[in-house]
Amino acid sequence: MPKRPPVVFYVNWNACIKCGACIGVCPHEAGFTTPFDTIAVDTPCDIACMACEKICPVTAITSRLATEAEIAAMS
Amino acid sequence: MVQTVEYDVVVVGSGPAGSTTARVAAERGLRVLLVDRRQELGSPIQCSGAVSDNALNEAGVRPNDEFVSTPIYGFVTYDTHGNATTMDYRLYRETPLGYVVDRRRFDRYLMTMAERAGVEVWLKTDAKGYTPHEDGTVDVHLNRFGFPQQVRTRVIVGADGLQSQVGKWGGLRTHIKLSELASCLQLVIDHVETDGLLEIVAGHEWAPGGYAWLFPKGHGYAEVGLGVIRTITDKDARWHLDHFMQNSFMAERLKNCRILEVQGGGVPLAAPLKKQVADNIILVGDAARHVNPITGGGIHTALRGGIIAGTFLGDFIPTGERPTAEALTCYHERWLDELGHAMWKLYEIKTDIFREQSIPRRDQRLYDTLASYFSPHSEFRKV
Ligand SMILES: Cc1cc2nc3c(=O)[nH]c(=O)nc-3n(C[C@H](O)[C@H](O)[C@H](O)COP(=O)(O)OP(=O)(O)OC[C@H]3O[C@@H](n4cnc5c(N)ncnc54)[C@H](O)[C@@H]3O)c2cc1C
Ligand code: SF4
Repeated sequence: MPKRPPVVFYVNWNACIKCGACIGVCPHEAGFTTPFDTIAVDTPCDIACMACEKICPVTAITSRLATEAEIAAMS
Repeated sequence: MVQTVEYDVVVVGSGPAGSTTARVAAERGLRVLLVDRRQELGSPIQCSGAVSDNALNEAGVRPNDEFVSTPIYGFVTYDTHGNATTMDYRLYRETPLGYVVDRRRFDRYLMTMAERAGVEVWLKTDAKGYTPHEDGTVDVHLNRFGFPQQVRTRVIVGADGLQSQVGKWGGLRTHIKLSELASCLQLVIDHVETDGLLEIVAGHEWAPGGYAWLFPKGHGYAEVGLGVIRTITDKDARWHLDHFMQNSFMAERLKNCRILEVQGGGVPLAAPLKKQVADNIILVGDAARHVNPITGGGIHTALRGGIIAGTFLGDFIPTGERPTAEALTCYHERWLDELGHAMWKLYEIKTDIFREQSIPRRDQRLYDTLASYFSPHSEFRKV
């Protein structure tokens, strides 16, 4: 399968019910999280499986493609 | 300033699994630190709180007004159209079969039991990682009220729930597939009558891959919720819950309800982890996927797992043996003997049901399985 382009997630904090399901389904190594019990929002995700968007019971997570600058800053 | 102190065991997470592990280990004379990042345990609630009397009994926890919302006397299982099988145990016994508990109070109560058994408890303490030492101990890196702190210990217990990072620290494969994690939403509601029974609705139309529920919550309240598997539906749990409340055979009963609380979470309908230990690390509860894959219940298995883990540590630590993954495997073996093999069997039954491609046949099998699961003759009543 071709590698998917990295994305940056956005959590709508008004919708989020702090359930942690997005972290439970996330295949990243430890630490791809925010202090609010969600998946990370301040750094691109280079797996882009989108499982977190799907598992969210209230569709609080959306995403956009990461910019070149954000991808360069990852490595 | 980073300080170092010593414990035999550091337990990360004070849900039912962590507080029980900590309590049992302390009762066996170990120096135990229990940390949780929350300020109020159990909150925000991610659970319906149904637990059997038997589960509490085994864990040495007596039902108490402090945490019991209401007693439960049996089950009603419905198919898609509302045909029901009722098991009201009031026909056989006077005492409750179980309870719906308030997790905010339940988790605090269990933590208090641990604290009274000699466990040191730190709230607002986030476990961030660890560094191993030559002598077989580790430093656990904590952030307590925003300040870094280190504690030296021999074994870290990852009781950090569904979001477990401790397993990942140890390189364990803790990842749950989207097809095996139920996405759940529930509402605490007013103005809906219940009768001391847990009501469970099977059927793809209402809860694809999972089921819907209506539980009594005491004080005239109820909980209505459902879990869905997102690989077999395009809609989120919230859409399905609306659909169920407005269009199912329960719609009439639910139509005047008022919403008091919104809660949710993920329930692993997965196999328990094949590897639950690493060097200096053992996992227990949701972190090890110790959840009943048919009912989604994880309180009983968390309590049982906690007893097994705490007892194991009470035997292991005094030997002075180095806590390598190999030495700690004994915990996993004990867990398999006491609980795990039965859970693997449940997982196979569940997998078999969802392998069925025809939706009506799958619905029927799920309904039959749930209805017989709750019968007085079920071989799994104690899981
Ligand atoms: C909607 C829903 C309904 C459910 N209903 C039921 C039910 O009716 N009956 C039933 O038996 N089960 C039910 N379950 C399952 C049950 O809630 C879980 O299986 C159970 O809570 C697992 O207990 P635990 O101790 O393993 O983990 P948890 O209860 O999740 O506790 C984990 C603790 O670890 C803490 N933590 C996590 N990471 C860190 C860290 N890095 N540092 C410090 N602390 C940390 C958390 O703050 C939390 O307090 C339900 C689940 C959901 C989502
Ligand atoms: S899955 Fe959705 S509701 Fe749950 S913590 Fe993540 S963003 Fe919030």
